[in-house]
Amino acid sequence: MMRPVRAYYPILPVLIGYGILFGIGQMVPGKWQLISQLAFFCALGQAFNLFMGMTGYVDFGYVAFLGVGTYGMAVSIYYLFDKGLGLTMIVIGMILAAVFSTLLSLAVGAVALRLRGAYFAIATIGVNEGFRFLIEGARIWNGSDGMIFSRHMKTAFGRETAMALSMKWADVIVFGVAFLAAVMTLLYMRNKVGYALTALREDEDAAKVMGINVTRYKLIAFITSAILAGLLGASAWALKLTYVYPTDVFAIHYTVEAIIIVLLGGAGTLLGPIVGGLIYGVSKYYLAIVLPGFQLMIFAPIIIMIIVLFPEGTVGILKKRVFGTPLEKFII
Amino acid sequence: MIFEQLSGNLLQGLVLGSVYGMATMGLSLIFGVLQVVNVGHGAFIMVGAFTSLMMFQAAGVPPVLAIPVAFAIGMALGMLFYFGALKPLVSPSGSGIKSLDMRAVGMGAGILVALLVVMRFLSAAFKLHFAITLFVAIIFLYGFLLYIYGGRRQDKAPELATLLVTFSIGVILEESVKQLFTSEARGFNWAIGKLDLGVTVLPYTKLIASFGSLTIAVLLYLWFRKTRAGMAMRSVVEDDVGARVCGVNVDWQYALSFSLGIGLTVTSGVLLTMFIPVGINPYMGGPYTLKSFVIAVLGGLASPYGAFFGGLVFGLVENGSYTLFAQFQGLEPFAMTRFFSFVMLLVILLLRPTGLLKVK
Amino acid sequence: MSLLRVENVTKRFGGLVAVDDMSFEIRHGELMAIVGPNGAGKTTMFNLINGVFPADEGRIIFEDVDVTRYPAYKRAHLGIGRTFQIPRPFASATVRENIAIGGMFGAAGSEISVDRAMELADHYIDIIGLKEHRDKPAGGLTPVEKKLVEIARALAMKPRLLLMDEAMAGMNPKDIDEMVAFIREIRDTEGIAIVSMVEHIMRAVAGLAERVIVMHQGALLVDEPTQEALSDPRVIEVYLGQPPEEAHA
Ligand SMILES: Nc1ncnc2c1ncn2[C@@H]1O[C@H](COP(=O)(O)OP(=O)(O)OP(=O)(O)O)[C@@H](O)[C@H]1O
Ligand SMILES: [Mg+2]
Repeated sequence: MMRPVRAYYPILPVLIGYGILFGIGQMVPGKWQLISQLAFFCALGQAFNLFMGMTGYVDFGYVAFLGVGTYGMAVSIYYLFDKGLGLTMIVIGMILAAVFSTLLSLAVGAVALRLRGAYFAIATIGVNEGFRFLIEGARIWNGSDGMIFSRHMKTAFGRETAMALSMKWADVIVFGVAFLAAVMTLLYMRNKVGYALTALREDEDAAKVMGINVTRYKLIAFITSAILAGLLGASAWALKLTYVYPTDVFAIHYTVEAIIIVLLGGAGTLLGPIVGGLIYGVSKYYLAIVLPGFQLMIFAPIIIMIIVLFPEGTVGILKKRVFGTPLEKFII
Repeated sequence: MIFEQLSGNLLQGLVLGSVYGMATMGLSLIFGVLQVVNVGHGAFIMVGAFTSLMMFQAAGVPPVLAIPVAFAIGMALGMLFYFGALKPLVSPSGSGIKSLDMRAVGMGAGILVALLVVMRFLSAAFKLHFAITLFVAIIFLYGFLLYIYGGRRQDKAPELATLLVTFSIGVILEESVKQLFTSEARGFNWAIGKLDLGVTVLPYTKLIASFGSLTIAVLLYLWFRKTRAGMAMRSVVEDDVGARVCGVNVDWQYALSFSLGIGLTVTSGVLLTMFIPVGINPYMGGPYTLKSFVIAVLGGLASPYGAFFGGLVFGLVENGSYTLFAQFQGLEPFAMTRFFSFVMLLVILLLRPTGLLKVK
Repeated sequence: MSLLRVENVTKRFGGLVAVDDMSFEIRHGELMAIVGPNGAGKTTMFNLINGVFPADEGRIIFEDVDVTRYPAYKRAHLGIGRTFQIPRPFASATVRENIAIGGMFGAAGSEISVDRAMELADHYIDIIGLKEHRDKPAGGLTPVEKKLVEIARALAMKPRLLLMDEAMAGMNPKDIDEMVAFIREIRDTEGIAIVSMVEHIMRAVAGLAERVIVMHQGALLVDEPTQEALSDPRVIEVYLGQPPEEAHA
């Protein structure tokens, strides 16, 4: 089952990348916010890439998985804060986030993954809005009023711990999710799942004829990607911000960001989302200073430019350059 | 009481549905001919709505007269985006250049960064101008590279590519309109009287919108059936290889259908403002994209007429379900209706992705 | 016992009957050719056998299992392999990975590890003689090389029945002779039944197949040993009244 260790060397650049990022955040005063934002973008890209990059299917409703994940953590804290569970509550929140996003991915996947190409995209485009309107329309979990649970956190953990949780540990978990996403990507790439996904991305009919149960492998990638998104929502949004509003966590805007990151870095590569996340994160941060409100207007034509002119993305191009050199073992 | 309300609502639904139907014809036309799903569909409707709003506010032009203007704007935008972004994907020239000259890219990126750095030290008043300069610079760089390299693909790009490109086009439109008009919701009031039908009251504006939609649908039908250009386009839908063999300029048909589709979509934005003259904002297109997809799959994604009838059905269902949800305590009927249209989309796709209504 | 039995299979596309009540058998280890003019329904027949789409009527039985309703991937697991009329290797994957994918998921698939599949791929790369292209993406190969990769990929699946759609279309006579020899050789070394579909190239049919099925307008016209089929007046009739040798593509 397991491949030889050298097959997993590409995890080294990932580890080094996140290590340096984390180190800078810890060492350079006043930069932690930026660094944690970057980690969020890398994680978002990595999780999104696991499905879009590896299968060639685009899920326009992807942000819904982050949204339900956020609610998973929120529900746990909001309803359990006075049960004396302590930090177990966070664990329960993470589990709930994973469960919610799994359930949603199964429900969406049951319909959408039977469909090919464009029809898949059509099926997913309303998922985030649909879910938002369900929560608002049926007044689930306070409906459009959202849930604010900073007070609950203070009661449950005490002021100090609650602060540390949202100011620091939430971001550390984001780093963890980012790394986990990279590990999962590499594991899949190096095992049968990855080969099945490559085959179906290139030619779904030919893949079926080769004996690949395409629906099964698409579902594996879809669920994995959804769970990672759920965990990301639970940490980067719920735990960090200590509130959740349906209009925020289902905003399509985040799907756009995920697409940009993956394309900038290179769809279907391991290092792409990290490179893309860093490029996007830094330029967004800078653009927010020099040109507030213009980020998407600048990045949307860049997406088109990448698709038409450089479909392989940064890491895709780099990969070709290092082909045949000792570096090729590390850059995928 | 409830029945009276329901029949009134259904009538409203039918009238609105005809506008919905027209608003989806462009989407289906584009899919039928190019096999491209225009994910940025709603943004073009928004452009139409703004055209209507601006002409009314600035010059007092009634929305009916904005229709030809909107159509022209749509055709122009369609051509622009087709040649600027879609053509290299759906109809690649295959110039065969394998690797882009990285020096050109590096130079372009350098210029962009330099622009940004300059902007860092500018006063706020200049920033808008520079933002526009930056935007134009990116487009220019892109156009330059496209001109030199003509797209890099030998074969048709994967579906993913066209989905992401049309999606990005939608974002560009939304963001540009936001920069021009801010993101606040606007509205206008064009009152020309009402028609009282007993069960419900219909303003003439709505009736004109509905009548306009029907007229456009009929005109499109006639154009497809009776004119040479229309028949050439239909031949591409049937069999693009065959059409090419028979001497039809398929590349030009692609361009024409795309811009015609966009023209229709932008026009429908005007008609929609005659129906709902409020809530006009850069992001208003999102819900229409979703509705149009429901309607399009109802009628079979590739058939503009199917889309029109799908629109009628959807208008009825939407108003009917609103009335129904309003009967329940504790439900927000507006939000539930939106949720319902999403569920409807999934159900139709599950049952018959090629369309429930069979209209050729 | 036959390897594959096709019983009264029909497939319609709208009003068009692409395959019309076809019945025939394929025996273990047999070399067979399906011929017929353009649009006769050969590719459609292949698609029905390996499950690209289901038959409207009739049954398909592979080694005593009724596979009529099986999806394509399950039929592949049972041992039905396939190459396409226009080669369709996975473009971004290397030659080696392409072939390994066949090994990983085909009939041999469930027991084979990724590393074992790679070794298997190396074995077949030697056979098709593309060693120098081993680590190149398959998308960049020439059409003939792509065809070879497809065959190797299908062989790595360890099929018991290999369907080859137009293995020789567009090749020059020398390549055709080589390909015929190659197909006969793999039949002998792998011990599998091969059904090769040939359009007009009678020269290849004569050298290749032991038995020929001729299709015409979706229906079975002739099912005979090769020599008899080639001189059958009905077959000559189908090829525009010309002797088949002259209807050379
Ligand atoms: N998926 C499909 N949908 C509709 N019609 C189809 C489809 N596949 C094949 N056909 C039609 O069925 C008929 C038989 O086609 P098929 O490809 O099986 O013929 P063939 O014998 O392989 O011909 P060729 O020598 O050209 O490869 C043709 O008329 C073709 O147009
Ligand atoms: Mg064929």
